[in-house]
Amino acid sequence: MLEVEELSVGYLGDDVVHGVTLTVAPGEAVAVIGSNGAGKTTLFRGICGLLTASHGRVTFDGEDVSGQPAHKISRRGLAFVPAERHLFPGMTVKENLALGAYPGRPDPATMDFVLSLFPQLADRLSQHAGTMSGGEQQMVAVGRALVSRPRLLLLDEPTTGLAPKLAKAAYEALATLRSEGLTLLLAEQQVPLALDLTDRGYVLENGRVQLESSSEELRRNPEVRRAYLGIT
Amino acid sequence: MTAVVLDGIVLGLQFGLLGVGLTLVYGLGGVLNLAHGQLAVLGAIAVWLAIGTGLPVLPAVVVGLAAIGLLGFLLDTTLMRPVYARRGDERVLLGLLLTLGVAFIIDGLLNWRYPIASLNISIGGDPISILGVRMRTGSLLASTIAIAAAGLLLLFFRGTTLGRGVRSVIQDEEGARLVGINPASVRNLIFALSAVLAGLVAVTRSMTSPVSASAGIDFTILALIVAVVGGLGSILGAFVAGILLGIVNTVSSFYIGQYITTIVLLAAAALTILLRPSGLLGRRK
Ligand SMILES: Nc1ncnc2c1ncn2[C@@H]1O[C@H](COP(=O)(O)OP(=O)(O)OP(=O)(O)O)[C@@H](O)[C@H]1O
Ligand SMILES: [Mg+2]
Repeated sequence: MLEVEELSVGYLGDDVVHGVTLTVAPGEAVAVIGSNGAGKTTLFRGICGLLTASHGRVTFDGEDVSGQPAHKISRRGLAFVPAERHLFPGMTVKENLALGAYPGRPDPATMDFVLSLFPQLADRLSQHAGTMSGGEQQMVAVGRALVSRPRLLLLDEPTTGLAPKLAKAAYEALATLRSEGLTLLLAEQQVPLALDLTDRGYVLENGRVQLESSSEELRRNPEVRRAYLGIT
Repeated sequence: MTAVVLDGIVLGLQFGLLGVGLTLVYGLGGVLNLAHGQLAVLGAIAVWLAIGTGLPVLPAVVVGLAAIGLLGFLLDTTLMRPVYARRGDERVLLGLLLTLGVAFIIDGLLNWRYPIASLNISIGGDPISILGVRMRTGSLLASTIAIAAAGLLLLFFRGTTLGRGVRSVIQDEEGARLVGINPASVRNLIFALSAVLAGLVAVTRSMTSPVSASAGIDFTILALIVAVVGGLGSILGAFVAGILLGIVNTVSSFYIGQYITTIVLLAAAALTILLRPSGLLGRRK
């Protein structure tokens, strides 16, 4: 579904991510873990077209999308939920969700599915997104991405700013999406949650892939346990 | 007094239409278009030229506004490109300088080719009484057009997918890109629309008093004041500010005098910035 080959990407001519190769098969859930500043966000922004890569290739659904702008990649069915969410603060929850289907109208069944996944949103459809709590905004952001009926969902730290209980709830929603067959690629600092959800994972350090393995093996790996799971 | 206020509302609706284009272009790309008023006047002169070829008024207005809309589109796709390629202060400054250049060029061209041109569309018919005030048919028609245009705009921005797409770029450009909206084509569309609206205001103004080829700077200043008072980037704010300032304008020119009025309007803008830096309906960032 997604093949990232030797991707290098960064800011103002300085690469931050160096030659990363990564694949996601249809139906798979894949985690990218790494410490602060490892380059997870930069990598994701390079994949979804918000940043232009200096080297390498991104293939989505068999088509080379390298160098395409974000709005084109999004219309192909690759939805990115950034850690900062980037909602439309002056619009209602309903308008935010509906814009996920741009330029079309949202499919009612998909809308219903989103509201069944996040029942709290159903009561708040006419509230302005800018006035919602962090957890609710995260639901709107994921919901908006789902309304576009993506084939691949990219999530950058879906637990940013969420209390542990809410973080767990967010992962339960992601588990539901998985069971519905949606393909997921996510970056996460809450490593235990991410490794529980996913099939495989990549460890990114200093913009390079250090380790690549099944999530189960990563959970057992002594280095991962020491560096990311806080177990000595 | 009722007459003065009614006149103010008539004027204010047109101020709103003038300001909304400026506010939208600024909200979408950070460009404060200093040639906005010159585009308005150029639109009026285009209509004047079309009438000069023997076209009846209505088709002449359509032709003139289409021409100014096309010019707006072309400006945005050519001259404004390097502006949008930059970020932050650099973008704002380059945008100011380039649009100021466009303003000078349009003023120069008009002054050279049509120094004494002025559009004056006279609407016949007897005055009609509204709230006990006799209104000239010209100002009634101008208001009707302004109200209809404002209504259509609000409908477009609130009720259509494309309109919401435009607002989404103003509110969060990155979010807009992520849902599949191309900000560059939204900016093209809105720059053209803003030029058409500016031209339309010059046309409706010409129904009550002549619009001369040298009026560009006045229109630009007015648009800036309206947009600042309403809150840069706020569509509804532009209309609210337009109507308020329209009333301030007629009241002050009735009781104080025409020459002081611009200063009164500027003072109103300055006061707004002091009391509410983001304008009446602007959002704080
Ligand atoms: N806009 C930017 N301009 C310049 N450098 C940046 C920018 N954003 C990030 N960087 C740099 O790129 C490197 C990688 O940052 P990135 O945000 O990709 O890391 P991350 O793995 O997502 O970290 P975190 O877990 O804290 O979100 C860092 O050294 C950071 O300073
Ligand atoms: Mg990050």
